[in-house]
Amino acid sequence: MSEPIVRYNNVTKYFDDLQVLDGIDFEIQPGEKVALIGPSGSGKTTFARLLMTLEEITDGTIEVEGDYLWHEQDDNGDLKPASTEHLRKVRSNIGMVFQHFHLFPHMTVLENVMEAPVTVQGRDKKEAKKAAEEMLDKVGLLDKADSYPAQLSGGQKQRVAIARALVMNPKVLIFDEPTSALDPELVGEVLDVIKDIADQGDTSMLLITHEMDFAKEVADRIAFFDGGKIIEDGPPSEILYNPKAPRLKEFLERFMNTQSSPE
Amino acid sequence: MSFWELIVSLLGQGLVITLLTTVLAAILALVLGFIGGLMRLSKNKFIRFIVAIYVEVFRGTSLLVQLFWIYFVLPMFGLTMSALTAAVLAIGLNYGAYTSEVVRSGIQSVDKGQTEASIALNFTRVQRMRRIIIPQAFILMLPNLGNQLIELFKSTSLVALITLTDLTYQANVLNATTLQTTQIFTALLVIYFVIAWPMTKGMKMLERKMTEGRM
Repeated sequence: MSEPIVRYNNVTKYFDDLQVLDGIDFEIQPGEKVALIGPSGSGKTTFARLLMTLEEITDGTIEVEGDYLWHEQDDNGDLKPASTEHLRKVRSNIGMVFQHFHLFPHMTVLENVMEAPVTVQGRDKKEAKKAAEEMLDKVGLLDKADSYPAQLSGGQKQRVAIARALVMNPKVLIFDEPTSALDPELVGEVLDVIKDIADQGDTSMLLITHEMDFAKEVADRIAFFDGGKIIEDGPPSEILYNPKAPRLKEFLERFMNTQSSPE
Repeated sequence: MSFWELIVSLLGQGLVITLLTTVLAAILALVLGFIGGLMRLSKNKFIRFIVAIYVEVFRGTSLLVQLFWIYFVLPMFGLTMSALTAAVLAIGLNYGAYTSEVVRSGIQSVDKGQTEASIALNFTRVQRMRRIIIPQAFILMLPNLGNQLIELFKSTSLVALITLTDLTYQANVLNATTLQTTQIFTALLVIYFVIAWPMTKGMKMLERKMTEGRM
């Protein structure tokens, strides 16, 4: 097997006195699609937000392509907290799609997608516009290029957010409950886009989701979080149909019960 | 020169000084307000402390006393300036203190998700402020900034008390020489209103224009 693209080493996270991650070891392979499931408060979102550097790590290390994310090695090889430059360099490999989209409301759809390539990556404006249009075409929203986010439906907003993350060419793309804030009839169009990206891309994906069917369809591997730990981790067929951990069985049963419609 | 020509001519001259003071002081207040507001959000405790002192001193004392102090007291320390400079400085510093609070709270009102999205797209802090946060915060600040501009304009009538020949000063001179108190002070009232009212309307229009179809 090749070198993992992401490696968590004994990662611990506290919010004040509350422990949310408890010594997690985890690896993501290049191109691998990993779904994270588990009850709310189990740590799966914090796990992903540490990788996006939206939360600070308390203890342990995260490596991206062999580089420490939160740390740097000094001349003696000892770890010290990463400088801003180092953090930005390693972070450039990661992208994220949020539950609530977080599009820039003062910019058009096209400007939303073009902004970071031009401002952050210093790409040529014409080239960035072309790349942005390509991405918008990919998510089926090229005709909305000149609209403002406020004029879009939730599903359309999320597709723009996906285009905005993709245009930066991240090696790892995090989806944090990308359909949880959407009206039920808009969920499908967003899942279709994510599925397309999963099918054609060599981008690794970290997908936090409550859509078990979708996780099964897209993910190479599912990790079950509970109480700040990964309790079980394996291919979807194993996790969903042959769960071993009692906590996972319980979670899936409760989940299926709330999901099944009384027909 | 007829009585009315005299009134119009003197009040006209005064109006020019009033508007000049307003524009210069407003620019100074806006610049100080943005610098102060951003410094207030600094990670550095010392920088925040400096701004806090500035804001508290200028909010905690009256503008009139600040005008007197800058115009009459500073010369005793060897710092002499024209009445116009003193007026612009005092009003600019005073309103800059209030504006810095408007700027700070405007920036803090921008949805935290905007910061997270900017981090996820790898913006630097400066890029994030310049391109994402401040453009949105500015729209949130507009109503408050508009109110402050009008307050500032009206407060310029105080500069008559440090001998600056503004609208109010000229009205006082006219009153003393002609004793037509009712006409002169009514005219004064109307002129201030006729300027302030379109300013209110103008700010409302700007607000509408900037948010149209976007938020």
